[in-house]
Order: sequence, then C-alpha cells, then structure tokens
Amino acid sequence: MSDIEDTIQRLVAKKGVKGVIVLTKDGAIIKSTIEEALATQYAKLMSQLVQSTQEAVEQLDDQNEFTFLRIRTKKHEIMVSPDPNFVLIVVQNPQEH
Amino acid sequence: MERRREELHRKKQRLAEIRRLRVERQQTLLSSQTMQTDSSTAPTRTTASTSTSSGTGRGQKDIDDLVASLLGDRLGSRGTNRSRGGSLTQSLSEPGQPADRTPAASTPTPTDPLSPSGPSPLSVGARAAESPGVPSTPCPKFTVFDTVILDLPPKERLSYNKEAQTMDWSPEPAVIPEEEIERRVREQREKDEKARRLLEEQEQKRQEELQRQRQKLKELSEEEKQAIEQSAEFTDFMDFSSKLVERALNEPYDFMTDYTIGSQANDDTAAGNQVKLFASFRDDRWSKNRSVTDVAWSKRFPELVASSYNRNPMAMNEPDGIVCVWNLHLRDRPEFVFHSQSDVLCVAFSEFQPTLLVGGTYAGQILLWDTRAKSQPVLKTPLSAAGHTHPVYSLDIVGTQNAHNLVSASTDGLVCTWQLDMLAKPQEMLELVHPAHARTDEVSPTAMGFPDGETATFWVGTEEGHVYQANRHDRAGSKAGLNTAEVYRGHSGPVTSLHFHPSCGPVDCTDLFLTSSVDWTVKLWRAKATSKASSLAHQQRSTLLHSFETADDYVYDAKWSPLHPAVFGTVTGSGQFELWNLNNDTEAPVLSTTVGANKALNRLAWDKHGRKVALGSIDSMVYVYDIGEMVVPKHQDFTDFQRTVTELAATPVQLSSPGDYAFD
Repeated sequence: MSDIEDTIQRLVAKKGVKGVIVLTKDGAIIKSTIEEALATQYAKLMSQLVQSTQEAVEQLDDQNEFTFLRIRTKKHEIMVSPDPNFVLIVVQNPQEH
Repeated sequence: MERRREELHRKKQRLAEIRRLRVERQQTLLSSQTMQTDSSTAPTRTTASTSTSSGTGRGQKDIDDLVASLLGDRLGSRGTNRSRGGSLTQSLSEPGQPADRTPAASTPTPTDPLSPSGPSPLSVGARAAESPGVPSTPCPKFTVFDTVILDLPPKERLSYNKEAQTMDWSPEPAVIPEEEIERRVREQREKDEKARRLLEEQEQKRQEELQRQRQKLKELSEEEKQAIEQSAEFTDFMDFSSKLVERALNEPYDFMTDYTIGSQANDDTAAGNQVKLFASFRDDRWSKNRSVTDVAWSKRFPELVASSYNRNPMAMNEPDGIVCVWNLHLRDRPEFVFHSQSDVLCVAFSEFQPTLLVGGTYAGQILLWDTRAKSQPVLKTPLSAAGHTHPVYSLDIVGTQNAHNLVSASTDGLVCTWQLDMLAKPQEMLELVHPAHARTDEVSPTAMGFPDGETATFWVGTEEGHVYQANRHDRAGSKAGLNTAEVYRGHSGPVTSLHFHPSCGPVDCTDLFLTSSVDWTVKLWRAKATSKASSLAHQQRSTLLHSFETADDYVYDAKWSPLHPAVFGTVTGSGQFELWNLNNDTEAPVLSTTVGANKALNRLAWDKHGRKVALGSIDSMVYVYDIGEMVVPKHQDFTDFQRTVTELAATPVQLSSPGDYAFD
C-alpha cells in the first residue's frame, strides 16, 4: 500500500513530471495525482486509445503484444504503460530535463 | 437488354400457363368435392345451405374481391419486380403445395375470378361440424380446424448483377417502360439501402454513446480501490511499469530536440583530466546502515552494477546480507534486491548466464541468485564440512562458456571449485597449507586472483601480507596446493586485493599483478611464470616491481583498467579515489578525488568498456564515475608501458618495512 504510494510519489517528484494516473483496463481511476476532471478525461480517452492500439498491434501480428506507448506532443509527453488489467499513465515535460 | 426482355417475356408466358393449369386443377378438385359433399349432406342441408349460402356467398365474394384487388396490385408489380414475382410464382406453383394448402389458400388463390360460386370446402367443413348428430355413412371424417389466413410477404431476395452498378442512361429511357421500371426499382433499392445505412449509423452512434456513458459512470468505490491496491497483481504491475517509466524518464537525450532553435549555453566543458560523478546509488529501505562490501558489473548488460552489503545492526528483522542490482538508467531504486541470511562479502555476475549472480557470505555459504526468481537465493552451498565454514572474501568464475567453474576461497585456507548449477557439493576441495612456515602452517587467503585466461594456477594474498602462488591440480613438477617456493613478500599487513593485468592490446602483460594492503601501499608484481623450486633463483630475481606509497590510509582495492595498459585505480580508507597512469608518472596518481562524504571506500570495479568505475563506500553508497578520455589508449601507450615496466624492474624497490623478513 505505502509502497505503491511511494512509487507514485517518486514518479511525481521526478523533474518534469506533471502527473501520474493509474487505471483499470476499463478506464476506472485507481490513483491519480492530477485534478479529477482532467484525470477522468485522460482516463476516458487514454483507455480508448490503449484499446485501439492493442487491437491494431494484434491485428498486424497476433503473436505480438503492445507494451509501451509514448506520445510526444508540442507541450508534453504522455507515457502509457499497459498491462492486461491496468494502465499507468505518466505525463511529463521532456524539455525540463 | 434484348436478351433480358426475351427472358422476361418467356417467364410471363410460363406464368400464365402455370396459372391456367392451376385453375383447371382447382376447378376439377372443387367440383369433385362439391359433388361429394352435395351427395353426402344433401338431405339435411338443403334448407340450411340456401339460407347460409347467400350469406357466405356474399362474404366469399367480398373476400375474393379483396384478394383480387390485392393480388391485382401484386400482379401489376410482378412485372416490375422480377425477383419478387419469380419467387411468388415459384412458391405458388410448387407441386404438392396446392393440395394441402387449398383450404387455407383458397383465399389467396382466387386469382381466378371465375372461382366457383358454390360453397368452398371451408364452409363445408364448418357446416359439417355444425350438425354432428346427423348420421352420414359414406362421408369422410371431418374435423374442425382453425384457419389462419396468412399473407406473408415474400422474402426479399437481393440480387446483384456483376455489371457496373451505375445508372443506365440509354437515350430513350421513357420509351421502354421496362427500363424505366428497372431504374425506378434500382432507385428504390438505393434509397432503401441509404436508409438502412443511416439507421445502422444511428444505432452505432447510440451504442457508442451508451458505452461512453457506461465508461463515464464507472467509478470505483474506496473499498474497490483498496482491494485493487492490495492485490499482488497490482503491486507487480506498479513495480514493473513504474520502472519502465522511470527508465524512460532518465533518458538524458531528448530525441525530439530541435537544433534549429537556439539553445541555452551549455558550458559543461569536460576537462581532459577529470572524472565526473555519473550516478550515486542508495536505497533508504535496503542499504541504510550497511556498508558496501563489493561491487561488480554485469558482463552482459553494461548498465547494470551489483553491490553487496553487510548487515544492518539497526534492523534485526531485515536479512543480514543483501545484494542490490542497480541500473544506470534507474537512479532512485535498485532494479533487484536479493537477500542472504549472512553478510555478503563478495558478489559477481555470472559471465555466461546473464541472469545469475553469485555471492560469498561471512558464514561461508556461496549463494546463487537469479534475476528471474524472487529475492531469495535459488541455490546455496551447504554449511558443513562439505563446503566453506569460514568467511568467503573472494570468488571468481573461471573457464569458458562451456566449461566454467566457480572458485571460492575462505579464510581458513579452503579453496573450493563449484559447478554453478550444482552447489550441493563442491567439485574439488583444496586446503592451502604452508608446512614450512615458521609459526603456523595455516594460510588465510583474503584475496585471490587468476591471470587472464588461466584456470589452473592462481595467486592468493593472505592475512599476514604475503602473496603465494597455488595450483588447483597436480601438475608435472608441482603438486596441487600452495607453492611454498614462491612467496611474494612485501606487504606488512593483510592483502586486501589482488588483480592481474588484463590482456588488452598488442602487448602481453598478463604476468603483472597489483596488490593493495592495509599497510597503506599498492604493489606491482611480476608473477614468476615458471614454478621451479629454486629458492636461490627466486631470491635473486626481483618480482616486486614497484611500491606505490602515496596513500594516507588503508588501501582497500586496486584494479587495472580493462582498456588502457598503464592505468589503474585505487580506493582508500580515507575516501580517496586515485587514478594512476604509469606511463605518465609512477610516483604520483594522475588524479585523486575525494568521493562523497569522505567515507572509506571499500571496492572499485571497472565496467566492461573501461569508461566507468563503480565505487562502494562504507556508508552504503555506490558511486559511478565517468572516466573521461584519459583511459582511451593510444597505440604507443602499449610500447611505452612495456618500457616503463622494464625500467621499474631495473630499479630496486626499497621496502618500507624491512622487518617483514623476520617471518622466515
């Protein structure tokens, strides 16, 4: 329990990290360090994205598996680490390194 | 077009014929039936029939008219809708069907306006049931059955032709009505299709909306969240994925860097002779209050470095010894943590199986951990006479990919050889004794070293300060065990490390080795290649090439650079990390830095490429230093080094403590 809290705190404490969200595979929020409205939005959109990415990867090669997703945007970077049951999302600003 | 019209025409003809045939058949059937019923029910029915016949006849006529009008419609459209018409005629003309469907189908059949005015079999049946008391000997059995009048619309059968599905813009569409009809039908169908598609789209949208709403609605309660957080699955997931993210975050290079945008001045000019602290590792939970006893790099993954620790006196419940594997890209926590029941004194990655680590402990056990397993060791040696029972300060994996052994030495003089996958029993045991020694025949190895590529002969540094050569096996001219004829005297305190020159570059210097000792010195030796037991010869030949005496404290470790032939690094009890380049200077280090909080440094390890060193300190820190360009050898460095060594050999070494000789 506190281990998980520690892990999240450590991630947030990293330079440039804006927020951390942990979701179930259905997009329900387990943990989040950003304000709720934005978090729900992230949850909703990112779980859809994860799902479609998963499908795309599997359709291209059914032996393959989707393991990590980095989305570079002008403002920041969204890192998505999926799992059969959970999704970890970290938003960071790479320019602040 | 012409052909199709012909076909149409043919079909129409056939239809007419079929219709005619059926009417004929029905007429004959009806007439025979009426004859039959008439004859059977004539006596009783005459009056009733006259009274009802007018009523039913009218009803019949009405129905007939209705049906005729309906069918007329359909008949009209039959020509237009070929497929429909076809199916209808087919179903109507199916053999056998008309017979059993006449009672029910008598309504749709009246395609023939000349339907018999007489009572239909339906009314006959009904009437027969109305008068049950009437005895009727030859008549067939009548039963009551409900009639359901069905007017099933024919199944829509979509057919497409292989031709282009575009509109046919023939010059006179209006002239040929069939063409026009066809076009209209097509239009209609297209319209239907469009409507259907629209409907489908709407349905899909609705469904999406529903899903979205469901998603929006889905929110976990506190209990659910707690349950998830406590599940092992979730912990594993967090552990793994946060490591991934942290590694990704630690990437120093931003591959999206836009070089067209002027960047802020980065005045991190690396001076030529400078080492830079690259990373420092510690973990509050695991490495607190412990000292680093050894550091070792992974041979396979250049970013992994393992460090072993002794016990934490403040935490009795924690395991006594631990080993952490650190990743240069994961700064805040160890990649793996391994446990041991006793202080771990030395650690090494298996050279040939990248997931395995071996460690020697204070209790004498050798432990084998696997990064694929959990933190407990996967294999351990027995704590009995069949293994070490004294602290193991040094171990080494020697051999090749297909034939390698773990060799370990404990302070009671026992040297064991192990097979990595079978630690239950040592393959060989060798007791090092020195029977000719003046005081005791016991030898207590504190450091051990194999020359590069050598597996049978090794050198040990002992607690008393002497270095001996020993053989693992019986050989021609020498027995297994300590070679008492070869004693390297020089240190006046326990030897803390012994390291042979790695074979690098064109010049072979693998007979050189360095020892460090608590007598504040580092010594450079040349191993006697031959094991001739001529004590006279060995006394004449100086094997001690040089003694480096700049340290102001115990020297805990000295290691050759794997890259540059003349460079080695030392660490001392005063927390100094010194880098020597013998080609530049044999009297003073080229670089000396105070590391961290000025705490004693226990161990030093060069990484595979010789560009980084890892230092372990007694205050539980592991430091990784980036050695700049100075360790990159130029070609002449090798020949220079050879010359330096010859020069060193030519100058006699002044032993700082001549009292050493009193031992013999």
